[in-house]
Amino acid sequence: MKKHPMLKYLKEEGPLGPRMPLIFCPGCGSGQVLNYTLYAVDRVIEEDGISKERFLFISGIGCSGRITSHYLNFDSAWTIHGRALAVATGALLANPQFRVIVFTGDGDTGSIGGNHFIHACRRNIDVTILCLNNGLYGMTGGQHAPTTPIGAITTTTPYSNREGAFDLCKLAETAGASYVARWTTAHPRQVIKSIVKGLRKKGTAFIEILSQCPVHEKIPATTLLKQFRKNTVPFSKAGELTDGKTLIGEFCDVERREWNEAYQEIIDQFLIHDGGIDE
Amino acid sequence: MAKTPRDRKGVVSSPDLGLLKPGKYYLQGNQACIEGALMAGCRVYAGYPITPAVETMEYASQRFPQAGCRFIQMEDEIASACALIGSSWGGAKAMTATSGPGFSLMQEAISIGVMSETPMVIVDIQRAGPGQGYITASQQDIMQARWGHHGDGPIIALAPSSVQEMFDFTIEAFNLSEQWRTPVLVMAEETVGHMREPVLVPHTDAIETIERKKPQDLGISPRDYLPWGHDTVAPMANWGEGYNVNFVALVHLEDGNITKYSPQANYHCVERLQRKIEGNVREIARIETKFLEDCKHLIICYGAVSRTGMEAVIEAREVSGLEVGYIRLVTPWPFPEEQLREIVGEVNTIFVPEMNLGMMRHPITEALRDRCRKVVSIPSLGTLHSPEYILSKVREEVS
Amino acid sequence: MNRLWVDERYCKGCLICIDVCPKKALRPSQEINAKGYILPEESDMKRCTACGICELMCPDFAIAIEEAGR
Repeated sequence: MKKHPMLKYLKEEGPLGPRMPLIFCPGCGSGQVLNYTLYAVDRVIEEDGISKERFLFISGIGCSGRITSHYLNFDSAWTIHGRALAVATGALLANPQFRVIVFTGDGDTGSIGGNHFIHACRRNIDVTILCLNNGLYGMTGGQHAPTTPIGAITTTTPYSNREGAFDLCKLAETAGASYVARWTTAHPRQVIKSIVKGLRKKGTAFIEILSQCPVHEKIPATTLLKQFRKNTVPFSKAGELTDGKTLIGEFCDVERREWNEAYQEIIDQFLIHDGGIDE
Repeated sequence: MAKTPRDRKGVVSSPDLGLLKPGKYYLQGNQACIEGALMAGCRVYAGYPITPAVETMEYASQRFPQAGCRFIQMEDEIASACALIGSSWGGAKAMTATSGPGFSLMQEAISIGVMSETPMVIVDIQRAGPGQGYITASQQDIMQARWGHHGDGPIIALAPSSVQEMFDFTIEAFNLSEQWRTPVLVMAEETVGHMREPVLVPHTDAIETIERKKPQDLGISPRDYLPWGHDTVAPMANWGEGYNVNFVALVHLEDGNITKYSPQANYHCVERLQRKIEGNVREIARIETKFLEDCKHLIICYGAVSRTGMEAVIEAREVSGLEVGYIRLVTPWPFPEEQLREIVGEVNTIFVPEMNLGMMRHPITEALRDRCRKVVSIPSLGTLHSPEYILSKVREEVS
Repeated sequence: MNRLWVDERYCKGCLICIDVCPKKALRPSQEINAKGYILPEESDMKRCTACGICELMCPDFAIAIEEAGR
């Protein structure tokens, strides 16, 4: 039996029993994002020689949160709703060498985690944020989220949603992230490339990935993936004229001081260098 | 840690960088707390400004980088508490300091810390509540310390009464948190936080620091490692050590599996948290006692009130001829019920002076109701009890 | 000829692999398995070029292509 090439990075079993199959619904985008992430991590391990121990996966709560739960054959943390970035900040304070990937959702990032999201970008801490955006709260049954489009019917907007939606990429860019991109689960190679870029970037990389929820949309995954390709247009090609489609692409890719690097300078001024006391 | 100290003008009152050299220092309670933390090996401080804990933060922002450690002002208290979890599992001892309103915000993270058995230290410089309350001293969070986090699972809390104890108890808090793999609270009051007193700092060789048990030291391989197993207090592998630890705070099996839920697994997972602390009360809890041999009445206190309580007891005995005994709960939690019942004989009245409307009087009553005629609460809001005030209440009741 | 491997423990019958295969080498099975899923099966593996897109886009790590001669 030949196994999927990325299973080497998952714990099919633990000492006290099996951990797979993954808990996600059939066709869920979360499994795909995990798959793409592992391809990207594999590339960074092979090409850059980064050891497996340096990687740290942290997630919040929701379907995206379950990606870490107990599957990864890496160090990981399944933390509280919206606070993955705060935990990530703490981990990097303890060890700035971690390569941190944060799995979060549109509600986890844009609602309860909004404050931590903008401050993580502002500080430009060294994380790669993968925001799985399905436009609703999946795990709890399909309630509307700050990214739900106007007019959508959800379990908490039964009369159609009247609230506007965040553009999380614009928020990230304004708050100060050094790399911002949006793709969909129907663009695997672009997602992988962006994750690799994010892992190599010293600073906050925010990658929004539109991800399908076949159960709450009540549309098969294959159809939703086709819709992702049809209803999106690359930023580089469209400029501002989008014809009602969602912009995808890399919005921002700049060099900015990363938090721990800047703080190290403060610590270093108190260290004695060879040859005597610093003046 | 910084290799050697160097004088740097205009930053802090500490004459040395790195760890304090042995000697006598005149410090504020909040500052002593930070010096103790550095002594204990704390490497990360993540906090948010709140009166009356602000000085811990400001002092930490100056002292931590001097000692080669990291300080960060987070965007809110929730973020601060979550950062402690990340730092602890990332391999660094971490702390924060806050007051009532911030303490309320941290409860979810504390609950996560209890379930995941994360060593972390949270200092609560208590102020009056509820709500915004006021910025004067209180002991109004002492019940929240034990019961504030959602779910079962006990916690360890120390109550310092002096600036020296802010230094000593912070070190002890880190040691307890590493030894028992649990969040530990230092429940101070604004009085102690803002007080200035001399602090005797011993040589680092004389200070015992405890580090968490590691599976590497016990010869447990990554393949066989159970992050929440092996022993009453599980050895803790940190991230980055090749143990592929999956941190979870859901009900879990000892290997971290969160799929195989059952009521039995749930009970086993949570009950062992309870047993880890409550089953070891004798080792963890500390009580100070005086004049118990012949006492007819008893004053039981904790925190800053212990000092005026002791004064009241001495005055009662020497001036008023009342045979009053003294018990101090150095660690209000875990509550030392068995130990209290062992040392307290038949008394007339038990007095519990607290800077709240009567909170610890409840477990005290539960433990000692049958040993006395009555338990009397002596509340004081907004100000520390004076010895005269406590004594007047005692005389009122006794006569 | 390349060979298809489907892990019945993990496949949830989402059929994405069949849909994205550029060579139409896969098709849905006629049978429903014990879990109630319709699994992918080989349709015409002579067409399969081992491009890896099915492996890439599988949400459940349930599919693998064994290249002939490897």
